[in-house]
Amino acid sequence: MEPILVVDRVVKRFGGVTAINGVSLSLKAGHIYGLIGPNGSGKTTLFNCITRVERIDEGQIRFKGRRLDGLKPHRVFHEGIGRTFQVIRVFPELTALENLLVVTTNDYAAARARAQELLAFVKLERLAGEFAGNLSYGQQKLVEFVRVLMTDPELILLDETAAGVNRTLLNDLLDAVRTLRDRGKTILLVEHDMKMVMGLCETVFVLDHGEKLAEGSPGIIQTDERVIEAYFGR
Amino acid sequence: MLGQVIISGLLAGALYSMVALGLGLIFGVMRVLNVSHGPLLMLGAYTTFWLFQWLGLNPYVSLVVSMPLLFLVGLGLQRLFVRRVVDAPELSTLLLTFGISIALVNLAQLAFTADLRSVEFLTGSFVMGPFAFSKSRVIACAFAIVITLGAFVFLKTTRLGKAIRAVSQSREVAQVCGIDVGRIHMLAFGIGSALAAAGGTLVAVMVAIQPEMGQIYTFKSFLVIVLGGAGNYPGALLGGLLLGLIEQMSSLFLTTQINEAVAYVLLVLVLLVRPTGLLKGRAS
Amino acid sequence: MRRLFLPLLALALLILALYPIKGTGYGVRFMLQLFMWIALAQSWNLISGLTGYVSFGHIAFFGMGAYTAGILIAKLGWPWLLASLAGGLGAVVLALVIGFPCLRLKGPYFAIAMLGLNEVLRVAVSYFERLTGGGSGLSLPALYASVPIYYAMGLTAAAVTALAYVIVTSRFGLRLMTIREDEVAAEAMGIDTFRYKLYAFLLSAVAPGIVGGLAARDQSYIEPISVFPLIMTITMIVMVLFGGKGTIWGPVLGAVLLFTLQEMIWARFIYLHQLLFGAIIITVVLLMPRGILGVLQQKYNLPRTI
Repeated sequence: MEPILVVDRVVKRFGGVTAINGVSLSLKAGHIYGLIGPNGSGKTTLFNCITRVERIDEGQIRFKGRRLDGLKPHRVFHEGIGRTFQVIRVFPELTALENLLVVTTNDYAAARARAQELLAFVKLERLAGEFAGNLSYGQQKLVEFVRVLMTDPELILLDETAAGVNRTLLNDLLDAVRTLRDRGKTILLVEHDMKMVMGLCETVFVLDHGEKLAEGSPGIIQTDERVIEAYFGR
Repeated sequence: MLGQVIISGLLAGALYSMVALGLGLIFGVMRVLNVSHGPLLMLGAYTTFWLFQWLGLNPYVSLVVSMPLLFLVGLGLQRLFVRRVVDAPELSTLLLTFGISIALVNLAQLAFTADLRSVEFLTGSFVMGPFAFSKSRVIACAFAIVITLGAFVFLKTTRLGKAIRAVSQSREVAQVCGIDVGRIHMLAFGIGSALAAAGGTLVAVMVAIQPEMGQIYTFKSFLVIVLGGAGNYPGALLGGLLLGLIEQMSSLFLTTQINEAVAYVLLVLVLLVRPTGLLKGRAS
Repeated sequence: MRRLFLPLLALALLILALYPIKGTGYGVRFMLQLFMWIALAQSWNLISGLTGYVSFGHIAFFGMGAYTAGILIAKLGWPWLLASLAGGLGAVVLALVIGFPCLRLKGPYFAIAMLGLNEVLRVAVSYFERLTGGGSGLSLPALYASVPIYYAMGLTAAAVTALAYVIVTSRFGLRLMTIREDEVAAEAMGIDTFRYKLYAFLLSAVAPGIVGGLAARDQSYIEPISVFPLIMTITMIVMVLFGGKGTIWGPVLGAVLLFTLQEMIWARFIYLHQLLFGAIIITVVLLMPRGILGVLQQKYNLPRTI
């Protein structure tokens, strides 16, 4: 089966620093993938490259066979890729509901209904009219999470979405991710919570200093010496 | 003819480089676009004028007054106003420095009136072979070079200079290294203002002094920064020289009226084609 | 409280509509200019208040409208109402020409580019001297039409305010605001920020163009310095900042308060007046960045349609 996302020997430099050095990944549809690595290993940069917030210097990124690396950022969304951000990026002066409504969709009435549905899903329906900037950190994270789901993207990139969310809702979130996978969506998540990653992901990629260190099932990764070294020092 | 134009361009360019370095420092360190940079230059020019008027002080000597004076003014502005919006959205910093620039220009209007002033000090030209250059331009260039070099030596060798460069690259990392970022911000604004003042002093001998004289320099400094790359200090040097050259060259082909617009059109063109600067700059 | 609003508004509009019958010549002229400032401030709000992209050269559209209408009236004998509408069109064309390249620039770079715009236009006006009269200005055949112009200005001001209302309550407006809040996130949500900025920019140029034409007719004379002055840009900005950027009635409030003050106290002392405006900008940015209505909105959780 054709992989849905192919990152092909991508290189990204910032001035003199090479943030991503020839990383290759391949994601198949309908699976949950994890992307881990010590701080500064390039995880968020890789997300930024996929969603064209940053331009890559070498290599290619292909989604469903089509190249992403020539597109404008907002077109990536229309191709069917949604993402959350590591630093929360809700729109603070818009209400929670409006945060979902601005996402480009066609039918206003349908969008409104879906937005309310999604807010109810994460138990935030009574805060629909509240300015997003006034919500708690965890609540904002949830709004950002469901905002991604508004248009039913095929590939979902989650950047540390679980951080700061309380335990009960976290379980709901994990269930949501699994349900998405069951519906054929592909999820790639960056997380620091190892238990969560190992329990949720089918395949895990490990980045270190901008290079792919290892790739495999959680069980294998956990016992890989290079991974342990990368995290706990040489 | 070409030689004359090129050298004229470089002479003017050195001055632009120095003034633009001031703006560039403020932008590099604090990510603030100081719209009041031009008015600061204007104040430097008036300082020189009044010292010349009252004390008969040699305008070039007045550098030792105008630079420290405006350094302090810059410190004050930063401490009182700019400091509070460093982390605010860009709209706020732009509007704030815009407000400061209006205030400074109109304070000058009230205090000095809009009458054109001039410092009649140096006339005539140096003649070197087939070329002739006005004395004031040559001397201004010489001082500009010295001051700019001094600034670079400061940045490269002294502890404070290195601290400034560190903060320009990454505020967080600098903080972690124990650098008092707040003090560096004040210092950068002060030095930037002093450089503007130097520009004003040197220019005072050459052009008519009036409260609105600074605006064109704000703009040209922006242009130099964009040409040389935001945050790239040596780039500001090259950008200034480039601007000087382009201006002189275009005056060969265009009428004076259109020549005024060259700087503006050039800016828009560069911004469109390569907003990070012609040289390696840092994205803002 | 909300129930009272519409009737009160209707009453106010009625009073304004009937005013010229009883009002003095001075009064009509005062209100006429006030309407002009409301239209200008509200337009600036549409681009800078909603998207956060500071337009420092917005007065260029006023000047463009003035010259377009002026030339049509003086050289081709067009009726002034039609000429003013053409002025609005001219301003939109200018906005397209400038906006297309410049709106691709990120915030601060866009602001710089707009700063220079005024100057380029002033130079252009001098260059095309035969058409525009260059530095000596353009004269229109004399016509006393304060009352009709009063209504024209008033309608324009009302139209722009209504437009602001429509935008702020629509998804289009929400998306404009996301550009202000977080442009990167907006793009990630599929919003083509360039296109939205461009639409807002074009919409914000219409009213300045129209009132520019009306003002030209009113003064019967245009010269570059009078239609491209920095002080008008400053005034527009101060009015919106003071009243509350991003709100609907903020620009109106700012225009009413500051224009009244300007006419009554400061017009005589021009530099002091400008100095005060500079001080107001500084104060508002530091202490009250959301303006009067913005502060009230936050404090009392008022709806966005304030």
